[in-house]
Amino acid sequence: MSNGTSTSSISLNAIESAIVGRLKAAGIGFYALLAIFGLLAVLATAAGIHAMIAGHEHYYNVTREISWGVLISTYVFFVVTSTGLCLVSSIGHVFGVQDFMPIAKRSVFLSIATILSGFFVIAFEIKIPWRMAIYNVISPNLTSNIWWMGTLYGIYLAFMFAEFVFLNLNWHKPAVACGFSGSVAGIAAHSNLGAVFGLLMGREFWHGPYMPIYFIASAMMTGCSVILLFHIIGYKINGEKMKPDMQRALEVTSKIGILLICVILFFTTWKMISGLAGHPAGKYEAVMALIKGEYALNFWLFEIGMGMVFPLILFYLSRGRNLNMMLIGAVSMIVGIFVMRYDLVIVGQIVPVFHELGVNEYKHNLSYFPSLYEWVITLGGFGITAFLFLLGEKLFDGHKVEEH
Amino acid sequence: MFKKIDFDKLKNEGLENVPMKERRDFLKMGLALTGIFAGGTIFSAVSSFDRVFASTEEFKEKYPYKPHYAMVIYQNRCIDCERCIEACAETNKVPEGGYRTRILEHDAPDAIGQQREFIPVLCNQCNIPQCTRVCPTKATYKNPTNGIVMMNITKCIGCLTCQQACPYNARYFNEEKKAVDKCNFCFDTRLSKGESLTGCAAACPAGCRNFGDLSDPSSMVYRTVHQIEKTVWVMRPEAGTKPNVFYTRG
Amino acid sequence: MKNYIINPMTAAILALSLLLAGAAVGQEHGGDIVYSKPLKSVTFSHKVHVEDKGLICDMCHARTFEMKALSAQENGDFKMQALYDGKYCGACHNGTMAFASNSRCATCHTGVKGYKTQPGEQAAASAH
Repeated sequence: MSNGTSTSSISLNAIESAIVGRLKAAGIGFYALLAIFGLLAVLATAAGIHAMIAGHEHYYNVTREISWGVLISTYVFFVVTSTGLCLVSSIGHVFGVQDFMPIAKRSVFLSIATILSGFFVIAFEIKIPWRMAIYNVISPNLTSNIWWMGTLYGIYLAFMFAEFVFLNLNWHKPAVACGFSGSVAGIAAHSNLGAVFGLLMGREFWHGPYMPIYFIASAMMTGCSVILLFHIIGYKINGEKMKPDMQRALEVTSKIGILLICVILFFTTWKMISGLAGHPAGKYEAVMALIKGEYALNFWLFEIGMGMVFPLILFYLSRGRNLNMMLIGAVSMIVGIFVMRYDLVIVGQIVPVFHELGVNEYKHNLSYFPSLYEWVITLGGFGITAFLFLLGEKLFDGHKVEEH
Repeated sequence: MFKKIDFDKLKNEGLENVPMKERRDFLKMGLALTGIFAGGTIFSAVSSFDRVFASTEEFKEKYPYKPHYAMVIYQNRCIDCERCIEACAETNKVPEGGYRTRILEHDAPDAIGQQREFIPVLCNQCNIPQCTRVCPTKATYKNPTNGIVMMNITKCIGCLTCQQACPYNARYFNEEKKAVDKCNFCFDTRLSKGESLTGCAAACPAGCRNFGDLSDPSSMVYRTVHQIEKTVWVMRPEAGTKPNVFYTRG
Repeated sequence: MKNYIINPMTAAILALSLLLAGAAVGQEHGGDIVYSKPLKSVTFSHKVHVEDKGLICDMCHARTFEMKALSAQENGDFKMQALYDGKYCGACHNGTMAFASNSRCATCHTGVKGYKTQPGEQAAASAH
């Protein structure tokens, strides 16, 4: 439904009328979806605020021992996605690989949408978020990975936002500068998130340098799947035919996706083997829970099957051209990766810290399953991403990238 | 040349009969005894107290805090009467469902003699605390004077990373205070008001919990830790936190 | 490993069957006696003392303990010091006849946890 007006037009009125035109032209289905996703976000906000006022302990299933639940894993999922979008798209517009150019705008927009979803979700997991706004600034703890992560993600968001503005103004140089800075801040922030887990001495499943490294690699993997998903859907929504350069961009993205799935399979293999060899205390029990315990279905069906093997096969068979196959692969991968983040956060906590003491209280793995409120807020996070994505398609006219 | 020894006929003299000199030599080899019924992972702190409660060599001679508060728990004396837990809850207004200290139960049905042991646990007031490192806002910090790990509840954002970082499950979120809560050796409720003992130590009828100043050579905690005849250990030494809560039996 | 969760019905049946079992062997001994004063709790096992160790009733019930269960804990001196002085359990648990009263504490002291897991307490707890 493009009327050909680019956002680089000088006249604000022209832009405005173009946007209004596009919004008016959008079908009832578009608005129905927009309303549904908007409603999800509103419901989640209501649930989150209610839990915050009435006391989290009544509405969330997190406990003293498993104090990080699905909201933390969903936050991790969203920021992994955002970082991945930023990194994969920067291959083109920051590092000059032509093939990736066409995906730049939509990816940067979505990296902003997903990180906002992440912030939305974590705001309801943190018990007193407004204190964070104050004391992160006036009482910073420089040894804290959480502090660095929060601060760097704040900087990252600012760069991504600036980059998106510059991209739309076609100011190439500042866009590249912001894209590069955003990528650096994103990598720093995201590896710090890995370090939040990896530097905890008493948590064997997480402890070590693996987490920060794994987080970056898995962000790239996630980025590929999300780029495929939203670009293919974006074209379906806008009812446009994909240009050859966009097809080429998605083809290389799916190939990078194949490569990164292999990387993560490799990482996962060694993570598992290192948790089994010599029965390392605290880690062995967690790894066994994934391999044949309470989390085996999550691990084999979702993480390995849907998250990696199935999309790997589909991406391969599609040869980067069969868009429907790639779409199914991307959706399957995103579901799998969501469970991957869930398992990463929860399984790291199921082995009690006093497990080795052999006391009656801590003989068995701890259990956790999200409450209704936690699920509603999780869905709200997805609602925000979907809502912003849909809106973005109309406001920014399918995020078209100009030739220069 | 050598006297022939029939090992089969030798009597087991038991560790307590090994002369001091020999014990010292043995321990200098760096071999720490491992308590099996102590729950598997507990290592002896004998002859290696530098390893246990100090991060550098100088700590051995000089303690970083004055007073350097510490607790020695005689594990075999605990009878789970839970007067400590009651006293703690009352003194520190610990709400229902939360706890600053707890007693764990260890059953050893295959053991000879006693087959059950109770293990009191509380914040270890570590010399290298994980919780204070991970806190984004310095809401939890190590008091520079007495080494107690404290909370500044107005700064706590409730991210609960400290709960994740603590290898002793010593922290919980207190909904009434809207902040993470933990044992602070009753500093605000007792020590700062002139009391010499924590609420739990004062309530303990069995002499299980012994509180004192580790930097004071005349204190009971000093004398219990600074000896090599009886095993003293700490919880989860592999976490590298250098606790100030010590365990022994006797 | 399975967690065995006891529902109120099972607990009631369990309590009842224990009562019946107690009545059946009542001729021989009085089952577990759980003292809760001056602190919670000490469990005396008749089974261990009568069946396993082969003691006869009169060894304790002649002078040391009344036949009525828990009557000892009503006395003001029912404390460790009395045991060290050779009274109550200390009559035998003196280090020569049986392990000394100042050793193996948690063998008899079953604590608040032991008190809570008594069949009677469990039934009461699940009735609430």
